[in-house]
Amino acid sequence: MSARLSFSGISRRFGRKRVLEQVAGAVEIGQVLAVSGANGSGKSTLLRILAGLMPASSGTIEYRLEDRLLDSGERRRALGYVAPDLALYESLTVVENLRFFARLRGLPASAADDAVARVGLAPEAFYGTLSSGQRQRLRWAWALLGRPRLLLLDEPFQNLDAAGEALARRLLDEHLENGCAVVASPITLELPKVHERIHLAG
Amino acid sequence: MSASTWLAEATAVFVKEWRSELRTRYALNTFGLFAVTTLITASVALGPASLAPVERASVLPVLLWLILLFTATAGLPRAFVFEEETHTSTALRLAASPGPLFVGKAAYNLALTLALEALVVPLFLILFDLAVASPGLLALALLAGGFGLALGSTLVSALISQARGRGTLFAVLSLPILLPLLLFSVQLTRLAILGDAPGQTVEALLLYDASLTVASMMLFPVIWNP
Repeated sequence: MSARLSFSGISRRFGRKRVLEQVAGAVEIGQVLAVSGANGSGKSTLLRILAGLMPASSGTIEYRLEDRLLDSGERRRALGYVAPDLALYESLTVVENLRFFARLRGLPASAADDAVARVGLAPEAFYGTLSSGQRQRLRWAWALLGRPRLLLLDEPFQNLDAAGEALARRLLDEHLENGCAVVASPITLELPKVHERIHLAG
Repeated sequence: MSASTWLAEATAVFVKEWRSELRTRYALNTFGLFAVTTLITASVALGPASLAPVERASVLPVLLWLILLFTATAGLPRAFVFEEETHTSTALRLAASPGPLFVGKAAYNLALTLALEALVVPLFLILFDLAVASPGLLALALLAGGFGLALGSTLVSALISQARGRGTLFAVLSLPILLPLLLFSVQLTRLAILGDAPGQTVEALLLYDASLTVASMMLFPVIWNP
């Protein structure tokens, strides 16, 4: 199995404001690419661009899975993403939310049930009733649906209590056995298997 | 993507929309309130006796479609706007294929529109004591007109979902998209009431629906993908 994300010359402007300037990096199976920088330095923007949720002003992104180059649409659907702005449906339960997204990704309902079990949430709780820490656990479960090879994690331990952070770190460790991750955080996190660090000056 | 996968995705979206709607009842309550209010207001102001028989076939179809249009526009544009407002669009973009997503949303809006018509039309016929000479033609007008209304509203909802000033934009964009549909639908409803031959109005309405379908399926991936 192989998966490799590489990007180079990534720049992004919002009007006249330059948020990212010629950012480059790469990550493959078993590795973490850590992105740090102050608030507003463009970490979330970089991850959104890598996820295919936002176009870059310039630059190239390549994601190869099993030696096949995926286009941006395929890349979007083949990765896991945790970010503060990722929300699920308040009128659906935890398991209904995950089963819905599992069906969209062509996965069986058991994949959703498995993901819920991994993060220790009550399946029948409504998303709208979850605390911010529980919502973060659910984001992890959502990201791990179908066990994608690439995880893009924007402030992955935000709002988690000690047990939640330990769980998230364990999930990341397990993921790195067969996958890779880009992790963005305003502080320098202690992370396993960091292959490269990018500091965004903003 | 295989046809069965495509259909499964569209069905998942349709089921999710209905499950959410049946729990929140946002659109159903809005439709019910708006439809009953406008029907009662119109029937009190223009009850069965206030229009000359010769005017009824001209005025009442317009009134019926105006009630349907304004009631529908109170709920249908939420299809994609709601996803942006609640920040669920990020998860949806990362998981859904554009084609099945649009079809699932449009099918949900069509079901809502048909439910709205099932509520409004019988009440309208009773309150205005309106006899329809060709019920089959009226059913066709409601089905084809409702299809266009649902599809057009879904497309406009997608177009405006990421913009500011959505209310204004919806009105501006809906005008060119929905105006021909309304004109054909009103004309066909009038012919159904009178029992006249539909001529080319049926073809025009069906052709409009087909064109809107093709345009929507081509446009939506461009709108949806960043």
